[in-house]
Amino acid sequence: MSNRAELMESGKPFAFDAERDAEFERLAKRYPSRDSLILPSLWLVQDQQGWISTEAIAYVADRIGTFASQVYEVATFYTMYHLQPKGKIHICVCRTLSCYLLGKQQIVDYLHNELGLKPGQISEDGLFSLEEVECLGHCGSAPVVQINGEFHENMSVDKLKEVLATLQSGGRS
Amino acid sequence: MADTIKLSVNGVEVEVPAGKNLIDAVAAVGIEIPHICYHPALGADGNCRMCLVEIEDGRPPLVAACKTKAAEGMKVRLDSEKIKKIQRDIMEFELINHPIDCPICDQAGECILQDYYVKYDHAPSRMRVPQVTKGKKMDFGSGVVHDQERCVLCARCVRFTRLITKTGELGIVNRTDQARVNIFPGRPLNNRYALNVVDLCPVGAMTSKDFRFRQRAWFLTKSKGICHGCSKGCNIYIDHNREKYKDDIIYRYRPRHNDLVNGYFICDSGRMTYKLENEKRLRVPLAAGQQVDLESAVNALKRRMDQADKLVFLVSPSCSLEQMRAIQQLATHKAAVLSGYSEGYIQKGDGDDYLIQDDKSANRAAFALLGIDESKDTLTAALNEADLLISFGNDLSLSGMDCTALGKTELAFVGSYANNCADAASYLLPVASYSEDNGSIINIDGVLQRYGAAVVKNEPLPSMLQILAQLGGAFGDVQAVWSDLNSAVEAFNKVDLQNIPAEGLALTVSEVDNVTA
Repeated sequence: MSNRAELMESGKPFAFDAERDAEFERLAKRYPSRDSLILPSLWLVQDQQGWISTEAIAYVADRIGTFASQVYEVATFYTMYHLQPKGKIHICVCRTLSCYLLGKQQIVDYLHNELGLKPGQISEDGLFSLEEVECLGHCGSAPVVQINGEFHENMSVDKLKEVLATLQSGGRS
Repeated sequence: MADTIKLSVNGVEVEVPAGKNLIDAVAAVGIEIPHICYHPALGADGNCRMCLVEIEDGRPPLVAACKTKAAEGMKVRLDSEKIKKIQRDIMEFELINHPIDCPICDQAGECILQDYYVKYDHAPSRMRVPQVTKGKKMDFGSGVVHDQERCVLCARCVRFTRLITKTGELGIVNRTDQARVNIFPGRPLNNRYALNVVDLCPVGAMTSKDFRFRQRAWFLTKSKGICHGCSKGCNIYIDHNREKYKDDIIYRYRPRHNDLVNGYFICDSGRMTYKLENEKRLRVPLAAGQQVDLESAVNALKRRMDQADKLVFLVSPSCSLEQMRAIQQLATHKAAVLSGYSEGYIQKGDGDDYLIQDDKSANRAAFALLGIDESKDTLTAALNEADLLISFGNDLSLSGMDCTALGKTELAFVGSYANNCADAASYLLPVASYSEDNGSIINIDGVLQRYGAAVVKNEPLPSMLQILAQLGGAFGDVQAVWSDLNSAVEAFNKVDLQNIPAEGLALTVSEVDNVTA
C-alpha cells in the first residue's frame, strides 16, 4: 500500500461548484451530526476534481466545522478516496488476506514490470494508476482487482492482460 | 467517604470504591491492571487491549477492564495463563517496530513499555525482519516534538486535543501498519495546553522541545509543589536535580492530579514558569546602594526603618498567606501604611474558562481575608508623604508606576526575582522563592493549599519569614503565624491550619463543613 499519509497540494484553492454545493446543503439536513458529512463531502470532492487535495480536505473541514485532522484521518483511512490524481484506468489490487494468499503479488509484480508502476503511482502518460487496497469484500473469489470501480474476480495475470487490452482498445472492461 | 463495593480479584476479596471502572476501582487498593490507552481524564477508548481480564460470571471470556464498571460480587481474574499470554502478546505487538532507543529516549525511566515489558512480557524478540522506519523529530508546534517510531497509537494525545482543548490538531492518519499520529499539513498544535500531550504519552513519542535530552528521568527528584503562574494554583510536580558539582536546578514542571483545583492538567505558560526559579533570581544583598553581606543588609535596612518618619509597606499578591500576615504584623508594629496595590498583575482578557486566569498572582484572595488594601489611592497618598517604601516582592512597574521616580521616597526590596522595582532599590534583601520555601496560598476559587520546600540550593537564601523576624517581626516560623491567624483573623477562626488536607481546603464552605471533628 502506498503511503497514504502523504497529501498532495493541487496548488489552487478548492470550493464546491454550484451543483455540489447544493448537494452538500441537501445532505447537511440529513444527518443529526455534521461530522457525518465527512464521507459524502469527500465523495463530492472526488466527483468534482477526480481526487482529494490538501486544499480540498481543509475546505471540507472548515465547511463542516470539524477538525482538519479528522477529515485527514477519514480521507487516508479509506482507499477508495484518491489522494492524488489517478490515471484514466485506475487499478486497485486487493492486498488483504485471501487475495494475498491467492497471489495478488503476482498481479502487482506483473503491473510493475509491464507498466513500470508501483502501488500509489500513476504512469507518465496519465493512462494507468495502481493502488493496493484493503479488503474489497469479495474474498470468496479472490484475488480481486477493481478497475475504475468495476470488480474483476478470480484474477490471474493472463486474465488481467485480456481486461487491460480490452480497456486500452477503448472497449468496456 | 464514597460508597464501596466488594469484589474478588484472583480469588481474594477486596473492598473498592463504587462507581468506577475496574482499572480505577482495583487501583484504589493497589492492584494494577495494565493499561496503555485508558486515562481517567480521557475516558476508556479500548484500543490497546492491554487491560483484558476474565470475569467469571458467564459473560464473554474476556472483557476490557477500562470499559467495565466494577460491580458488587464480581469475580475478576488477572492471573490466569490466558490473561498472561494476552498481555505478553500485546506487548510483543507493541514492540515489533519499536526502536528500543531507550538510551537516548526522554521517557526512559517513566515509560509504560519499559515497565510493562519487565512485568508482563520479558521475552526476547522473535522479529527477524528489518523494522519499519517512520517519522522522527517531527515538529508538531507549541513545543511538542513527535517521534512516530516510538508511538503505540493509544490515541491519548488525539483524544486530549479533541476532548479537553477542543482544538483537534492531532489525528491518527492512514491505517493498519501505516497508521501514524500526525497533524494536518499547515495546522500544527496551537493551544495553550499542548504540552500536556507529553505527560499523557505513555511512551516517548511525544517529547517537549524544552526538556528533550536535558535530564534522565531517574535522576530527577519529583517534589510536590503549586504553580504560582496565576491565581488558579494548579498542583504540580517540581522535577529538580543537583548534578555533581552543580546547584539544585529545576528542569521541568509536570501537572499533579487534584480534582479540587486543576484536574490532571496544567497550562503551558504555567509549566514554563519553572525558568523563573532558575534564572533572573536576586542573589546579592544591597544596603544604601552598596553590595554587602546579608546580615549587614538586614541590619542596615532595620536601622533605616527606625529612622524613617513615614513608612510604606507594599506586599505582593503572590506572597504566601504566612508572609502576608507577618508583613501585616510588622507594618502594624512599625506604624507603616500597608498596601497590596498590584493592578499590573492582572492581564485582562488573558484567562479562559478552563485553567488560565487573568490574575497572574498566586494569592490575591488572601488580601481580602486579611484586610489588606489594594487601592491605588491609598498607596499614592501614602507615597506622597513617605520617605521609605519597602516592597515585599511586588513589582510596581507592572502596575505602571516608575520605581526610579519615587522622589524623596527611598526604595527597599525584599523578594526573590529580579525586576524593574528590585533594580531601582537601594536596599535589597534576596529571599527564597516558593520552590525553596513553604507556605500556603489561596486560589481564585477560595481553595487554601499548602506547599513545602522542593529545592535546596547549595547556598540557601533565607525565607521571607526569617527576614521579617530579623527586621523586628513577631513570627519566627509558619507555626507562629498559624496560631496568630487562628486567633486574630476572623476568616481563619475555624480553619484547622495545622491539618490542611493534601488536596487543599475550600474556604468558602470551610466554616460549616471543614471544622475538624
